[in-house]
Amino acid sequence: MSDLVVDGLVAGYGDVRVLHGVSFTVRQGEVCAILGPNGAGKTTLLRALSGMVRTRGTATLGGTELAGRSPDTVARLGVAHVPEGRGTFMPLTVEDNLRLGAFVRRGRAEVEADLERIFTYFPVLKTRLKQEAGSLSGGEQQMLALGRALMLRPRLLLLDEPSLGLAPLVTRELFRIVQAINAEEQTTVVVVEQNAHLALGIAQQAHVLETGRIVLSGTAEDIRADEQVAQSYLGYRV
Amino acid sequence: MTESTKTDEKTSAPPAPVRTSAVARWRWGALAVLLVLAVYAPFQLAPFYVFQLTMVLVYAVALLGLNLLVGHAGQISLGHGAFFAIGAYTAAILMEREALPYPLTLPVAAAVAFLIGLGLGVPAMRLRGLYLALVTLAIAIFLVPLLKRFEELTGGSMGLTLAKPQPPAWTGLAEDQWLYFIALIVAVGAFLLVASLLRSRVGRALHAVRDNEIAAEVMGVRLSFYKTLAFAWSAMLAGVAGSVYTWVIGFVSPDSFTVNLSINLLAGIVVGGLGSLSGPVLGGLFVMFVPSISQDINDAAPGVIFGLLIIAVMYVAPTGLAGLAGRLIKKIPRKKE
Ligand SMILES: Nc1ncnc2c1ncn2[C@@H]1O[C@H](COP(=O)(O)OP(=O)(O)OP(=O)(O)O)[C@@H](O)[C@H]1O
Ligand SMILES: [Mg+2]
Repeated sequence: MSDLVVDGLVAGYGDVRVLHGVSFTVRQGEVCAILGPNGAGKTTLLRALSGMVRTRGTATLGGTELAGRSPDTVARLGVAHVPEGRGTFMPLTVEDNLRLGAFVRRGRAEVEADLERIFTYFPVLKTRLKQEAGSLSGGEQQMLALGRALMLRPRLLLLDEPSLGLAPLVTRELFRIVQAINAEEQTTVVVVEQNAHLALGIAQQAHVLETGRIVLSGTAEDIRADEQVAQSYLGYRV
Repeated sequence: MTESTKTDEKTSAPPAPVRTSAVARWRWGALAVLLVLAVYAPFQLAPFYVFQLTMVLVYAVALLGLNLLVGHAGQISLGHGAFFAIGAYTAAILMEREALPYPLTLPVAAAVAFLIGLGLGVPAMRLRGLYLALVTLAIAIFLVPLLKRFEELTGGSMGLTLAKPQPPAWTGLAEDQWLYFIALIVAVGAFLLVASLLRSRVGRALHAVRDNEIAAEVMGVRLSFYKTLAFAWSAMLAGVAGSVYTWVIGFVSPDSFTVNLSINLLAGIVVGGLGSLSGPVLGGLFVMFVPSISQDINDAAPGVIFGLLIIAVMYVAPTGLAGLAGRLIKKIPRKKE
């Protein structure tokens, strides 16, 4: 089984420690939502998983250690990270962006086939292939970022605030697609989201992070049902 | 950064695929015409002008390398002239001391410059921005005194004088024409090499590093590896250009490769157009002619005129001359419709 097992993960920037021992498990094929206020360390958690910040503790995917590896090694191990702010290569074409998603993969024919498969999720990208990615709308760029991540054929997909800056309708569409991908490809997903309602809608498990610690864990339904949690941590009323 | 946020907010989708391919066809057409002109020119021009065009080609090869590093991989180098000098001296020393036939000096010069570029690139490419600029500048500054020191090998400040390659009798070409065609073949070869490199997976990796390091990293692109490789390749192309320079000039001395050369080259590629395929050629024209034009305009302060000319070009064409040409070309099909 390719479960993600995070145990006692500590991470930070320079001398500043941001994560103070985070532990949780995501079973293969499940969606896990990470919620929490601004500055809680959600982005840092995803960065720690994909090797972009220095860490202590362990994080294994199917028994293979991710923590302490370089980002390109983590990518080779099948972890795709859609970074905060999407990370679009603005001057490059949509096609080049997508192909960069498959950078660590060999096997041309498979990559071509996956490109077609991604157009079934995001038909709009097919009509924009030769266009500069920077000229796409925000929603289209988010779809591009997701499509590009899928080009890795990830075992684990890390999504950092996919709803950022998007209209509600587009956001809902995006989450529907993430759910479809999760269902069809059996991809494990860790999604960081401000829009708790949507994230909990597609997740099985959820964790609330506050100042670098998990202060609450449970099934998505439990978390959603918890009126007090909703108010104090998520800042909205159910 | 400001650039990306600007485009971020743009929601319209202007360039339809049809027009892009029209522009591409236009570009290949222009290239073919240019090539025909390039073959025709040396039979029509006086030897001195042929020599000048030859030097434009030599600089264009060096700028192809600098463009790879600065325009495509997004790094900076103020020491490109040093690798040009390494190529030039490698060729000169091999011809003078080892009596190696001149065509063989090119691959050796390329290899030497590549390896030195690799050696210096490993530490240098850990730095960014201003720090990288300073370290590469230091390379350019230290080179000249270093060349003067190893006098037995390099001829010290006197330099080395060599016999220029002579055209084989069957060609019926004059010396200046022969050298011109050598430079043209090397330039076309280098151009094709770089163009195919950029279309490959490696080219995409370089662009990814340039455009968004964080995203490139999570795609699995090893930043330090590709930056160092770009640095070594750019050094290699400078070395190739340097060896042809030695054949064409028949003389090398430390004073030909001062910091000024590095700065002229960087100015040349920025003015020519970073990241564009025609940038190195336009930049080659710039490096060849603008310093001497500045001299003509005002003998007392060529530096001032040179600087003003750069400012003027950047004001009119912020994306370089290639960008300006591109914008003009794009306008043409639209007007006809
Ligand atoms: N590159 C960095 N260098 C130093 N400190 C950083 C860096 N990035 C983040 N931090 C700090 O780490 C803490 C957690 O930041 P992080 O980006 O992980 O929060 P977040 O939960 O993703 O917040 P948000 O919801 O606003 O995106 C913050 O206090 C932030 O100031
Ligand atoms: Mg964040």
